Amino acid sequence: MRIVALIALSAVPLLVAAGPYDIALFATPKAPSAHGSARLVYAASPFGVAVTADGRAQYDIQVTAAELPEASSLGAFKAYVAWAATPDLSTWVRLGTIRNGTSIVGHVDLNKFLLVITAEADSAPPRHAGPTVLHGTSPSGWLQSFLNHPMFRGITG
Amino acid sequence: MRRLVLAAAALALGMAPRLANAQQQEKKKPPVSMDDMAGMHHDSAHISMPIPMPAGMPMIPGLVGLTPSVTEFLPGNGTDPGKLPAARPTRIVQLRNRDTLDLTAGLVRRTVNGRTFVMYAFNGEVPGPLIRVPQNATITVRFHNRIDLESTVHWHGVRLDNRNDGVPGLTQVAVTPGGDFVYTVHFPDAGIYWYHPHVREDVEQALGLFGNIIVDAPETDYYSPANSEHTLVLDDLLVNGDTLIPFGKEGPDFALMGRVGNVLLVNGESGYTLRARRGEVVRFFLTNVSNSRTWNVSFGGAPIKVIASDVSRFEREERVASVVLAPAERYVVEVKFDRPGRYALVNSIQAINHYRGEFEPQADTLGVVTVTNEPARPDYSRQFATLRAHPAVSKEIERYRPYFDKPPDKQLTLTVRTTGLPLATVQFMTIDTAYFAPVEWVDGMPDMNWLSTDKQVRWILRDDATGKENMDIDWHVARGSVVKLRIFNDPMSFHPMQHPIHLHGQRMLVVSRDGVPMRNLSWKDTALIPVGSTVDLLIDASNPGDWMLHCHIAEHLGAGMMMAVHVDGARAGDQR
Ligand SMILES: [Cu+2]
Repeated sequence: MRIVALIALSAVPLLVAAGPYDIALFATPKAPSAHGSARLVYAASPFGVAVTADGRAQYDIQVTAAELPEASSLGAFKAYVAWAATPDLSTWVRLGTIRNGTSIVGHVDLNKFLLVITAEADSAPPRHAGPTVLHGTSPSGWLQSFLNHPMFRGITG
Repeated sequence: MRRLVLAAAALALGMAPRLANAQQQEKKKPPVSMDDMAGMHHDSAHISMPIPMPAGMPMIPGLVGLTPSVTEFLPGNGTDPGKLPAARPTRIVQLRNRDTLDLTAGLVRRTVNGRTFVMYAFNGEVPGPLIRVPQNATITVRFHNRIDLESTVHWHGVRLDNRNDGVPGLTQVAVTPGGDFVYTVHFPDAGIYWYHPHVREDVEQALGLFGNIIVDAPETDYYSPANSEHTLVLDDLLVNGDTLIPFGKEGPDFALMGRVGNVLLVNGESGYTLRARRGEVVRFFLTNVSNSRTWNVSFGGAPIKVIASDVSRFEREERVASVVLAPAERYVVEVKFDRPGRYALVNSIQAINHYRGEFEPQADTLGVVTVTNEPARPDYSRQFATLRAHPAVSKEIERYRPYFDKPPDKQLTLTVRTTGLPLATVQFMTIDTAYFAPVEWVDGMPDMNWLSTDKQVRWILRDDATGKENMDIDWHVARGSVVKLRIFNDPMSFHPMQHPIHLHGQRMLVVSRDGVPMRNLSWKDTALIPVGSTVDLLIDASNPGDWMLHCHIAEHLGAGMMMAVHVDGARAGDQR
């Protein structure tokens, strides 16, 4: 059990090795050869970083995608749309449309979020309805809870 | 009650492992000097006070009982605070060209949040005297060091004559206790500046040695009109009950993250108050003088316009929801208080609870602006609603625009090296690597931070071209050249953190961040470099001399994060 946890932890930096702005995107069975990545860049701001009044970072997202099939090949769809969703999936924010190549969408100001790219019937749908083709997690989503780690129970070394 | 139980459990669990740690460290480490055994002291003659932890967070059991490897230092050597003068609020000192000011750093009795401490002050005032001078004035400041440490005065952001820059070992010899030094300070740029010692900033600045300078432009409409103006000096102080957490005598403690205070202060006091009239437009000059904290300040929902930063106005005024200030940064903003009532001045951030792996919003009320029903006269509603452009700023920047896209002339990587930290710290930092926030707004791990000193932590500016680090870097640039400096804050280090990088004596533009051009520029002397970011700075190397470039987190500076930039050319006299 402990070995599994250690493997999981050590695998994490490999996925996000480039730093706090990089998101690896994963394909789904709907478009298995699609792949890509995303990078968070601070939204325009006169300050050193862009944040909301309550201190949440405000990012634009550069999505680089490849081998997305024509949206219409997946059904009655016309466009790929990027969404930011809270980890509990209660809130979805439409970020913009995605194409093969690099697209810049934004803003997102959620502390932790899932980046989800769906095929949609419209380039500006009011809510997500179509199938997911790529998805990833904000780097902050990798934050771990250490409350049950042996270290905090006094078991070190 | 719950915290007590946790602490007791931590103590019980901490005992045995601590011994095991020490043995393991002995085994694994190569031969070390006593200094390298840093953090391993259990000697009660050293600092033994526990560090205040955030609510609900126990110290890591493996750290319980450890103390930083420094001799504790508090100012005054046990002086009875009752025998010292009480610190007074700031007074405005209006100076003209060729005027002289006596500036004395001394001991004071300062009451913060109902608790009295021995601290430092300039001329007995916290913040120090607010010096107000016309642009292009030259003043003489006779500095008198009457504290118990060596000191100097650095005129932050002011493009003055190099020999008056206040950097010991580079521009002057440090002023010993009882000694004096005369500074000639010329103010070529309008705006908001500040002064502070350039010796042990982690101690002297933290204990109250800072003050503002407002340099007034000759133009009466330099800023859009306001009914009143006020300085807001943002600071924090780390206290544990009735005592200050002691400082390190030989060098800084809190070397990992810098000392982050648990009492937030505006103009040296908690509970800032201001009265304004309905519809009043207030111009605030904000300065972050805290050792490490980055602030995110708002005014109870009142609309904010940002007008200027360190060394100039922005190209155009901009509406913002809050004001973000890294250490040493300044911003000039205007705020309009439309309705009668109370507006809370708040610092709002998203803390990271490293134990739970969650973000936790924190909002600290710094004070209250009480707005009366009486209408403000004149009514500046129309001017406030207009976002003015500052064509003079854009026109001047236009000369530098051809350099924006040139390849960088110089590149620095920001990183850290550690040795001999407590095993539990190393273990935690090694596994808590999945995510480093671009900006750490608050100290989420004060136990680990407290126990780290400059003996164990070396913060590094590394010259990519030569591999040289910190003071071994020897950059010479020609006076009058425009230097593009690319700074990368490497996220793949033991403990990455944001760094506010300050360059003395020159001005610079932040032209892009992570490849994205900045759209609204102002001249800066300090630029925040978040973790993982690459920031391109364009330096107007116009002022000859030997100038520091360093991180303005006081403990990072104290742990080595500094270098010198030599601007070669004719000396003052024919400058500019
Ligand atoms: Cu730093």
